[in-house]
Amino acid sequence: MVHEMKVRELAAARAGDKGSTLDLTLVAFDQEAYETLARALTAEVVAHWLHRTVDGPVIRYLLPNLRAIKYVAPAALAGGVYASLRAGLHWQKAAVWLLLDEDVPV
Amino acid sequence: MAASVTVACGAGFAGDRVEPAVEFARSGSVDAVVLECLAERTLIGGLLERAADGRSGYDRRLRRRLEPLLPVAKRAGCPVVTNLGSANPAAAGEAVAELARDLGLDGLRIAVVVGDDIHQQAERVVWSGEPGPRDDWLGVHAYLGMAPMAEALAGGADIVITGRVADSALFSAPVAAALELDDRGLAGATTVGHLLECGGQLTGGNLADLRTPAMTAREYADLGYPLATVWPDGTAELSVLPGKAARLDPIGCTLQLLYEVHDPRAYLTPDVTLDFAEVRFEQVAADRVRVTGARGRERPERLKAVGFRQASGMVADLEIAYAGHGCDTRARTAGETMRLRLERLGVDRCSIDHVGIDSVLGPATHASGVPPAEVRMHVSAVCASAELAQAVEDELYTLTLAGPAGGCCLRSERRPHLQVESGLIERAAVRPRIEWCTR
Repeated sequence: MVHEMKVRELAAARAGDKGSTLDLTLVAFDQEAYETLARALTAEVVAHWLHRTVDGPVIRYLLPNLRAIKYVAPAALAGGVYASLRAGLHWQKAAVWLLLDEDVPV
Repeated sequence: MAASVTVACGAGFAGDRVEPAVEFARSGSVDAVVLECLAERTLIGGLLERAADGRSGYDRRLRRRLEPLLPVAKRAGCPVVTNLGSANPAAAGEAVAELARDLGLDGLRIAVVVGDDIHQQAERVVWSGEPGPRDDWLGVHAYLGMAPMAEALAGGADIVITGRVADSALFSAPVAAALELDDRGLAGATTVGHLLECGGQLTGGNLADLRTPAMTAREYADLGYPLATVWPDGTAELSVLPGKAARLDPIGCTLQLLYEVHDPRAYLTPDVTLDFAEVRFEQVAADRVRVTGARGRERPERLKAVGFRQASGMVADLEIAYAGHGCDTRARTAGETMRLRLERLGVDRCSIDHVGIDSVLGPATHASGVPPAEVRMHVSAVCASAELAQAVEDELYTLTLAGPAGGCCLRSERRPHLQVESGLIERAAVRPRIEWCTR
């Protein structure tokens, strides 16, 4: 039987931006959580989640010594946050919940 | 040479709190206080002000921030390093000299770092995107490294004021001015700068770690900002002043280490290319974390440049609220009505969302399943002219009479349609220098 957990039960997260680039960092709570996330949250999976609200490719970096995974989406914030037409502009601070509220098989 | 240097982050963005810096200076336990007040896009405000008045363009909070800080810092012999100069560091230096006069601070040594403004060399920038027309920049700036700041501090500056410099360099400069840094030391000091540059975000702020209870309002309201003691080999300890509320642990440190970093094995700064893959964080005491293992490689050949332009037209930003039974349906109908009306006006770029339903994460929002008690329908529309913006705003207000029931609490504003472009420029085209305005 496949069990599922929310990403937020496995990792802490932070979102940042530079110009048009959105970046999302996950830091797993322990080694097992890191391995689960590294296995399940490929760049393709995360791109699929992000593409419901932003465009463009997603690059993944694995940092096993830090138990961290980094996702970088270079075209997600086209023109920078000032060019955004969303309410309040700086929505990307909350973009971590695009990952944290999703399920992963464990 | 000192055995170690302690640097503190008194502010991590333009609007940050004033008192952390004063507390650091007063504590007597830090060797330099840094005020990082110039995000990538914060410079735009300074550029717009400088365009209107050549004597403005520095951070307009400069006086509010420095008035309580300078006397305490001068008394403690604790230099201040800051990018409050924004788009006009020379004018900021004069403003500080004037403030020093008003405060009766004799002999304050003010160093201004200039040379980040590369508007005249804009054609030498290789832009990463398609920047469009080449001649309508509001401003173009290069990210300077730590060298001129370190030189100013070694020359006895009580305050160093810059425009666009790498944020991490604001912090590595006082370390480099006081310690003989080898390659590891430079990598460690620059990494520490990167960790400190966002202030409270290292010590418990904006921490999406849902395992442990969130900090309380009282703790956030008096959050301890970070300081770091750095040794010549690049080892550092991160902490807060004794008695301050904080949550400083390896998870939070790792989040900040990787924050706004792209390739973590090649984080480019003007002074060194950093590799974070082997960094280690170790909890050595409550709210005290040791950081080791940052590695450095040769600095990039070219400097990062950033250009700002004001696209033609403006953005009209509008909201209307609905409350009570069925408010979500009425807000969505209002949004659809706006879409139909704006099409007729010829608006081709607009975004419609619903605050309380989907305005933050857009179509990716997980529906709560619970009907909201109130909703604000939001529209942002790109308008080619002020006349069109007026017509768009009028359409929103018309919803109160010719739209769904109970439209209320309307607001509208217009903002310039600004764009940020980044690129690279060869170092030879950028000439930083120090201007002293000793009074």
